Amino acid sequence: MSLGVGGPAPGSFGTTGRGPRLLSGGGRRATAISTVSTLVVLGALVAVFLLAPGSAQVRHTFFNPTDMWQALRGDPKKGYYSVGAAIWLNIRMFLAAEVLILIVALAIALVRLSTGPVAFPFRVLSMIYVDFFRGVPLLLVILAIGFGVPALRLPFVSAQSAAVYGVAALVLSYSAYVSEVYRAGLNSVHQSQVAAARSLGLSQATALRHVILPQAVRNVIPPLLNDFISLQKDTALVGVLGAIEANEAAQIYSSTVFNYSSYAVAAVLFLLLTIPLARFTDRVIDRDRRRRLAGSAP
Amino acid sequence: MRRILSTVAAVAVSAGIVACGSSAPSGTGSPASGAGSCSSASVQKDLYKKGQLTVATDSPAYPPWFENNKPSNGKGFESAVAYAIAKQLGFKTSQVAWAYEPFDASYAPGPKKFDFDINEISYTPQRATAVTFSESYYDVSQSLVALKNTPIVSKHTPAELKTYVYGDQVGTTSLSFITSQIQPTAQPKVFQTLNDVKSALQTHQIAAFVTDTPTAQYISSSEIPGSIMVAQFPSTGEHYGLLFSLGNPLVTCVNKAITALKANGTLAALQKRYLQIYLSVPTIKP
Repeated sequence: MSLGVGGPAPGSFGTTGRGPRLLSGGGRRATAISTVSTLVVLGALVAVFLLAPGSAQVRHTFFNPTDMWQALRGDPKKGYYSVGAAIWLNIRMFLAAEVLILIVALAIALVRLSTGPVAFPFRVLSMIYVDFFRGVPLLLVILAIGFGVPALRLPFVSAQSAAVYGVAALVLSYSAYVSEVYRAGLNSVHQSQVAAARSLGLSQATALRHVILPQAVRNVIPPLLNDFISLQKDTALVGVLGAIEANEAAQIYSSTVFNYSSYAVAAVLFLLLTIPLARFTDRVIDRDRRRRLAGSAP
Repeated sequence: MRRILSTVAAVAVSAGIVACGSSAPSGTGSPASGAGSCSSASVQKDLYKKGQLTVATDSPAYPPWFENNKPSNGKGFESAVAYAIAKQLGFKTSQVAWAYEPFDASYAPGPKKFDFDINEISYTPQRATAVTFSESYYDVSQSLVALKNTPIVSKHTPAELKTYVYGDQVGTTSLSFITSQIQPTAQPKVFQTLNDVKSALQTHQIAAFVTDTPTAQYISSSEIPGSIMVAQFPSTGEHYGLLFSLGNPLVTCVNKAITALKANGTLAALQKRYLQIYLSVPTIKP
């Protein structure tokens, strides 16, 4: 979307055939105006923050460098753990969950789109599954798995760590969303592609594997990545099960010394995780747009 | 900014002195420190809402500090202490209003929606830089709770204590006690509420948890079947104080009320009535 003057005509989405750009063209005058506008807006926001009556107290409570540093380092002898070390648990939970979600969600989407009469009960089940886990708040799923499964006192299954139950809950919930993304992708591949593949003598399975899926997945990479950015942050919810991930470590620090600066540290760490993936998503979308527009008039 | 911060620090230091003080009157030179000036009329200007004393606590409010999760029934040690303080200040029972304040929110900067918070909050010098504490209304020691017939019940030398998986409620001094005194090799599990900690013990996710002795006695005797209070740890000088917004002048009169309640035996009687300190509890080293 165009953010400055001299860009595309009103009503357009700021595309010029080279993809959308943050800073629109329009020469030196437009650049100058953009700069001044940015300074005024940012300056006003900073001024409101700094001049508010409780500003000093808020800065001390939320952004105190000493507290932020202590929270990042951690000191179990003083009763709190390192937020910096705890983010590693978030990263591991995210990576494990992401791989599992990609597999489980694809299976659900394929079941839901199956056509055979034998698969009817499975189609119904997959529909109920998706409706249920998209409708129930993730936190409730985490609590139910994390406190419910150990209470069953099963061998092995009930003896896992909180992080494992957290990942299980994330997979259950996110697979419902991601299966819908897959389904949209599979539906976006034109029926003639299936017909063409089948007429070449490919079996149903081979057609799916080599013709339909590659096109479907490529179409939905941006929304998939979008869901994974969200997943990265939602690993913080697993803290309620007692796993010391970044958000939980921040909470321990803040309630031990009565200062919220640890949450700022956790926020910065999560940003460091999510921003690279967000930029990567932008690039994928951009590349996809160029590929699709190739050949058509700009 | 520097000036404001140093003011904050100065207030914090004086708050620390007040909270650490003995039972001597802790007037800090404010005009309200004169004898007889602490009445429900004279404290009106410092109240959150005129005409009533607004007392806050968390929900659920646990026994033996509160009973039936109903702070306004006057039962349970902290509820009774709050009403005793109110009476000492000249408030009628009907003039005490209760507010719900989650522990995590109680130390947020800015104005508070209560006069004081009574929620088993331990005084520490670092915390006293963010809020003002009253004098101690209860000196606390920590105890260990486990399930009967588990190893920790019989094996708890300082070295053996380090080998277990503990759990506790986030931000409690009990959790700090685990990490700083017991120093277990495995990270403890940290839960949002004490109820989560209890269910983790019952499902064998943790070997034991630490909590203050009255709570430990209550849980092991009436809440978790098959649980046992293994032992209590030597006191670290920890005490509970009422939590006020930083620099709230009302603390002066409330401290006087606490001092009076200590002197006339009310606090001791309430402890005896609600905290059941009648068991002889063995003490072990962390």
